[in-house]
Amino acid sequence: MIAKQLVEKAMKKAHGAQASLSLSESVDVSYESDRLKSAESSQRTDMSIRVIVDGKVGFSHTTDINDVDGVVSRALELAEFGSPAHYQFPSPKDGTDVNVYDRAILGITKDEMVTIGEEMIALVKEYKPEILLYAGASKSSRKGEFANSNGVEYADESTIFSASVYGEWIRGTDILSAGHGLGWRKRGIDHIEIARKAIELFKMAEKIARIKSGDMPVIFTPEGMYTLLLSLEMGFNGKNVYLGSSPLAGKLGEKIADEKLTIIDNPLIDYAPNSSKYDAEGVPHQITPLIEKGVAKNFLYDLDTAGRAGATTTGHGTGCGPTNIVIETGDTSYEGMLKNTKNGLLVHNVMGLGQGNPISGEFSVNVQLGYRIQNGEIIGRVKDVMLAGNTYDAIKDIVAIGDKAEWVGGSLLTPHIQIGRLSVVAQ
Amino acid sequence: MRERIEKALSKGNAEYLDIRIEDVTSSWINFRGEELDSIGSSKSLGGIVRALVKGGWGYSTFNDLSDLEVRVREACESAHMVGKEQTKFAKSEPAVDEIRSELVKDFREISLSEKLKTIKEYNDIILGYNEKIRTSNVGYSDRFRKIFYANSEEAYIEDERPNIFVYTSATARDGDNVQRGFESSGGSTGFQLVEGFHEKAEQAAKKAVELLSAPPIKGGKYTVIIDPKLAGVFAHEAFGHLSESDFVYENDRMKELMVLGKRFGSDILNIIDDGSFPGQLGTHKYDDEGTKTRSNYLIKDGILVGRLHSRETAAKMNEMPTGNARSVGYEFPPIVRMTNTYIDKGNSTFDDMIKDIKLGLYAINSIGGQTSMEMFTFSAACGYMIRDGKVAEMVRDVVLTGNVFDTLMNIDMISDTVVWSPGGPGGCGKGGQAPLRVGLGGPHVRVNNVIVGGRQ
Repeated sequence: MIAKQLVEKAMKKAHGAQASLSLSESVDVSYESDRLKSAESSQRTDMSIRVIVDGKVGFSHTTDINDVDGVVSRALELAEFGSPAHYQFPSPKDGTDVNVYDRAILGITKDEMVTIGEEMIALVKEYKPEILLYAGASKSSRKGEFANSNGVEYADESTIFSASVYGEWIRGTDILSAGHGLGWRKRGIDHIEIARKAIELFKMAEKIARIKSGDMPVIFTPEGMYTLLLSLEMGFNGKNVYLGSSPLAGKLGEKIADEKLTIIDNPLIDYAPNSSKYDAEGVPHQITPLIEKGVAKNFLYDLDTAGRAGATTTGHGTGCGPTNIVIETGDTSYEGMLKNTKNGLLVHNVMGLGQGNPISGEFSVNVQLGYRIQNGEIIGRVKDVMLAGNTYDAIKDIVAIGDKAEWVGGSLLTPHIQIGRLSVVAQ
Repeated sequence: MRERIEKALSKGNAEYLDIRIEDVTSSWINFRGEELDSIGSSKSLGGIVRALVKGGWGYSTFNDLSDLEVRVREACESAHMVGKEQTKFAKSEPAVDEIRSELVKDFREISLSEKLKTIKEYNDIILGYNEKIRTSNVGYSDRFRKIFYANSEEAYIEDERPNIFVYTSATARDGDNVQRGFESSGGSTGFQLVEGFHEKAEQAAKKAVELLSAPPIKGGKYTVIIDPKLAGVFAHEAFGHLSESDFVYENDRMKELMVLGKRFGSDILNIIDDGSFPGQLGTHKYDDEGTKTRSNYLIKDGILVGRLHSRETAAKMNEMPTGNARSVGYEFPPIVRMTNTYIDKGNSTFDDMIKDIKLGLYAINSIGGQTSMEMFTFSAACGYMIRDGKVAEMVRDVVLTGNVFDTLMNIDMISDTVVWSPGGPGGCGKGGQAPLRVGLGGPHVRVNNVIVGGRQ
């Protein structure tokens, strides 16, 4: 095992070490402007080591599997100047098994991937021939190794398959882009369903609807939920909490949201893209509630940050970021949400997210794909509209949560969520 | 390396073939708060083979260089599977060239302890600014990228592309109100770019604290003066992306919308992309398929006069390659990208521009932007209200949006000095390739009827 060799080599001088190796291969097929455009095969090697020498940490990475000596010696050199280690590498602890490998993905041929792209394009074309389409399918497999100086040692294998279709519909000077895609660690992706979702977005956008500036109720589609989640992911990041930049610091146990809202970080869902038995520091993954019935429950920590903050790692190494985010369903149907809206907005995709001051919760974004709701019905797509608000205010103002959750991109499982009032500025 | 690459190329079976190998060494230092958060280094070696057969592309990317010929074969097989039409690929003079980096202060010769000391000084300045400063994020990164490029037309280019930056960000907090100020610097000419940044670090801290007492801007429609830093992002998002021909060349409706000779702005508007502009972030002698870079007018006197091309898009539109096929690294094929994009100077002064604005916004410094071709956003680090022709109180959360078919027409005054934005960690993202270093420049620009997001 190469990771173990790296650790052993480092331990001649270091007081602790952790190493990982990742070998991945992938095949992609892509369509541009309705036509098969390219096929690609990729091979990738990543090998890295973290060492602790005299209480200080050094890190080094290489893409050359033969560079064992080099990568170890560079990490050791860096440790002399490194940050103080506030942790020890963990000892072996059994985790929960989670499925992340499907042999069937390996067997998918390029020709099948070409057919998948073709079928998705054909389906959207059947709806409207003038939509210009971009589509792709991709499969990849990865073999990983991990070892540390406290005896943790494992090898794992994972696969992932993804498919997507995006279209561009130009009418006069109106340019509309919409589409859908999904990645999953099991072959089961239904590309026909992906194309159907894309068509649905175009159908609702056939008409352009005018909207007046003002405060109004807003329904976020599962994809649109990123608008609110960005700030929350930053707020629950243990590093931001420790450094005092998270507005949630000191608020565990407090009610920060409407009691309908429960958000969980779950890396143990079979075949979800961010699932795995261990995190990148050899710590067994676990389910971590972030918000339970509106109350802030846990922040996310990795070894280093937990050590500094006097907390315990939650298995979010390295970086204290989430794995798969799951928002629990509520009791309102999507149709019911629409019906209860006299004048409002359905938001699916926004532009400019994160390019403000997301840690404070503030957002001010262009509604790239959103729809006007009037008297309980979607009457068309809105354009040149800015949506603004504060995430921390918005989650206290949840009117309804949908009764059906959908996977978005593969790492977020959420229902529709309706917020009482947000600010809309239009032409 | 040349021999190995050329030998592998000779084994290919395609109408066109190229290989790009990159040897990249990088190191970084990052402070978050009082303590060093990470220090590390990385060495990567990898490459990509591109093969073109009957209009179809095959790519192979790899870190394992032990058998280049296998990679060439993979790419050719893929291209044969994809290609069903006729290859159109513009001619480009096959260059044989070696470009050596010209570093004033070579960061590879600076000791780690000196780098660390320099960066720590900036971090200390921020943390010591005053009690409102809660934490910091101060980062340094250097990267030396050596590219070996060869194609089946006998071009061979070795190109050294160093990059370095420093980033200083301060976070101030007052209860739930968390604000950030930042400054950055960077480029390709050496370690001196990140030295002497103490004053800028202090400015970052000052800005974060000032923003704590600035109210959010009231949403609405304003006459806006954008400063040169924001004007660069504006040029890039509002129009630059639409001039990238890969959005146009196989899209008949887009071709109609983007026909040369069409008016997009008033006579005073000139937008240029120039990969040969000396010393900017997007400057290279050749693009990533061996075409020489040059200056390209996109909009001249308000009229669309040109666009950005790769060899493929140029051939398909019967135009000339412009040297804009760029890639962020060996994991990706080059696609059509901007280099250094700027709005050219006009003849107004700032005083002329502001004096007749009763209620408006002066938007300052850029955080970023995004486009969906027709609509776009661009975010300012902060703004000042303009009241009765004068700069008034500071406001925060300034995000602006526009529509390419209206907003450029609404530019009515342009100031007389172009300023280029400093380097930093950011860059442009497209097709999963980010961050690509791009130069952004412009003068002060006045735009009417801009929608600004916010509560009313």
